[in-house]
Amino acid sequence: MNIIAGQIADFLKNYAPFNQLTSEQLAEIANNIRVINLEKKQTLFKINDALHDSFYVVASGVINISVIADAEESIINKCHQGTIFGLRPFFAKNKYKTTAKAREESLVYAIPIAVFKPLLANNSEVLNFLLENFASNLPEDRSTQGNIASDGFYTEKQSEVQFFQTLAYNTTPLLATSDNTAQEVAQLMAESLKNNVIIFEKNGPIGIVTHADLASKIATGRYPVSIPVSNIMSSPVVTVLENVSLAEAQLLMLKNNVTHLCVTVDGTDKSVIKGVISEHDLIAAQASNPGVLIKEVKRSLSSNELKEIRARLTNLIQSSIQKNIPLTHITNIASEINFAILKRAVELSILDLGSPPARFAWLSIGSQGRKEQLLLTDQDSILVFEDVAQDKYIEVKDYFLKLGKKTTATLEKIGYELCPNGHMGSNMMWCKSLTDWLKQYNNWMNATRENSDNLSSIFFDCELVIGELKIENAINNIISENAYNNNLFFDFLGNDALRKNSPLSFFKKFIVEEEGIHKDKFDIKTRALMPLIDGARLFTLSHEIKGINNTYTRFKQLAIADPKHSEIYLNCAEAYLFLTRIRTLEGLKNENSGQYINLEELSKNDREKLKNALYPMKELEELIKDKFQLTQFS
Amino acid sequence: MLDWLKHINKEYPDFWKDYLAKFAKKSNRYVILSTEATGDSLEKDVITYISAFAVVNDTILIKDSFETILLQYRFLHDNHLSNEYIIESRLLKLSEPEALKTFIEYLGNGILVGHQIESSVAMINATLERLECGKLRNEALDIDIMHRKLNEITDDKELSLDELTDYYKIKQTPADSATEKAYKIALLFLKLKFKLGLK
Repeated sequence: MNIIAGQIADFLKNYAPFNQLTSEQLAEIANNIRVINLEKKQTLFKINDALHDSFYVVASGVINISVIADAEESIINKCHQGTIFGLRPFFAKNKYKTTAKAREESLVYAIPIAVFKPLLANNSEVLNFLLENFASNLPEDRSTQGNIASDGFYTEKQSEVQFFQTLAYNTTPLLATSDNTAQEVAQLMAESLKNNVIIFEKNGPIGIVTHADLASKIATGRYPVSIPVSNIMSSPVVTVLENVSLAEAQLLMLKNNVTHLCVTVDGTDKSVIKGVISEHDLIAAQASNPGVLIKEVKRSLSSNELKEIRARLTNLIQSSIQKNIPLTHITNIASEINFAILKRAVELSILDLGSPPARFAWLSIGSQGRKEQLLLTDQDSILVFEDVAQDKYIEVKDYFLKLGKKTTATLEKIGYELCPNGHMGSNMMWCKSLTDWLKQYNNWMNATRENSDNLSSIFFDCELVIGELKIENAINNIISENAYNNNLFFDFLGNDALRKNSPLSFFKKFIVEEEGIHKDKFDIKTRALMPLIDGARLFTLSHEIKGINNTYTRFKQLAIADPKHSEIYLNCAEAYLFLTRIRTLEGLKNENSGQYINLEELSKNDREKLKNALYPMKELEELIKDKFQLTQFS
Repeated sequence: MLDWLKHINKEYPDFWKDYLAKFAKKSNRYVILSTEATGDSLEKDVITYISAFAVVNDTILIKDSFETILLQYRFLHDNHLSNEYIIESRLLKLSEPEALKTFIEYLGNGILVGHQIESSVAMINATLERLECGKLRNEALDIDIMHRKLNEITDDKELSLDELTDYYKIKQTPADSATEKAYKIALLFLKLKFKLGLK
């Protein structure tokens, strides 16, 4: 054996999967290796290049594997010495999906597939190693299994699930016989807003007519509309068994180049039609994807469906947090979906009760109003309807109370607990006409001392769920008008913010619950999050910052509006994010609202971080004391 | 009667005729050559070791390599040297005529590349003459000259292979045999070829 080949074999021996080969096999590989020198930034292969006849091992230097997504090149892998990459030719016959480029001067060994493949047949461990790593794209996998850089970027983890994930599809397909005319079929489709019709005879489906058929054969004028549909249908139709998996359905569509599959009892075209699977069903089934969730929310027809979607949202939040996606992004997405669910819940009630007798607005207040609800916490809402003639008032109010009750009941079924303080649109007190609401806010803000018993600060974070935007604007205007230089009101809010119990004892220990079912747990909601939320609200109102409800963005805005104390605000923003994260993780773990943290279960590191996140709060409290006169209510 | 004249008019060995025939076509194959000899004299000294790698499409083909020890019994005997160590090594060992014959077959019409390639070529030519063959017809590239051209160095100081590998940050190999030299030259050649933009 050549001395250089010997050195290469010695090098390969140190890395998986080569360490599982015999020395003869290694010698065979080393002998057939081609050595490639890459200068800095030189490309080995790029996306859409034809596949090479070999895969690669980094001998020295660093190779970056990147993909282009949204016109932006993003590096998905850095291959260091001993890392395998470019495995695509093993498993796929199409083109490269990634780009390999040298980050510095590098040497790579090209191992011809033709030489390596025979070894795989006798060595299933090596084959599995390559397969697993081709299919996974997770960096943590690699650390446990050796060095390999996957280029199967599009094969995501969930792909395995696809093999047994079943599909929900249309089980009441439109049917027509072959002697129906094209026009009749088109009419049928238009009436039911479907894009396909199955053509059947007595012993099963014989073809399918889709929008595409109508467009290419009728609309082009090739056939008259009166022609029997059998002349324009696509035939034969691809049929499948009832419990077809997502992956299989996908493969069948690709293989046959069709957009619809017909489901029959025994999977042949000689039996009873059970339904039709369209491309949309496939997309919907792959959906733990925010866009699809929202779309499904909009289509759902019952609280059960919404509940199922909310459960998927929880999964989405959980996996996003684990993937270290910034919490602000997750909150944005989650609140969009939450709002869609709330909106749908109101819509469902309207569908049930008939259209409302007056214009109205359903506003979320509290955490939903601030758009920072990640967990299933309690629901807070108010209902405002437009002013109506005196004689109609009772009737209208009656309708909206019913609407409120129905909606809150739906939401409760979905999993949002009822508000223990009754802050909901179903409550007589919080379902009022616009004039009454404006009066209410006026009372609260101008005569705070007399009305403080039913006043809660959450009424000042509101966001429109469904209804008239004008009503929401009216409410927001009255708040900001009344807030202007209203010291008394601010003092009330300031006191409210400071009334929350402090989180740390004099000796810098966490103060935990002393009794009840949450004994020895830390109440992160009231002791840590609420003071920050209240503080943020107080300062945004007093600085007249409008239209921002989110605590994090409020702090960010405050840092700009009040540069003198910007450091305190920014610290609070970060602390808020960290506390939310801890709370969300706890809530996901225990499937509750995450209000009480079991400190024992936190790692020492997290405990320290948690403690540190509580310090900005102290500074914020000092700032509140400094700025507002708090003596009037205390 | 005139047979002896024919012999003088160079009736080449068969392998040499085949070699000459290969030059009808142009080659894209580079042969990276490294030789060892007993000294610099073309008459007195002999080649002891020939090592080569092929470079095609900017890749070094490990399989397409050549590695042979030349058994120089006469030279060793004349100079009272021992041949024990050579005999014991596992490498392919051939006598001078055979080794040259296989090397010429391996080389074909490839373009020669080496470090101070002129002296290697001269040494091989001298050996070929003893075998009643002509001179090598291959083009020859010298990495030292390529390096000068790239960096526009004008002085005559020749750089050793070690200096060049240091300059281009090529990792040192544990030993320093002709094969390892050939491999290092191959790596240098790939770098220089890319930098000079040779096709």
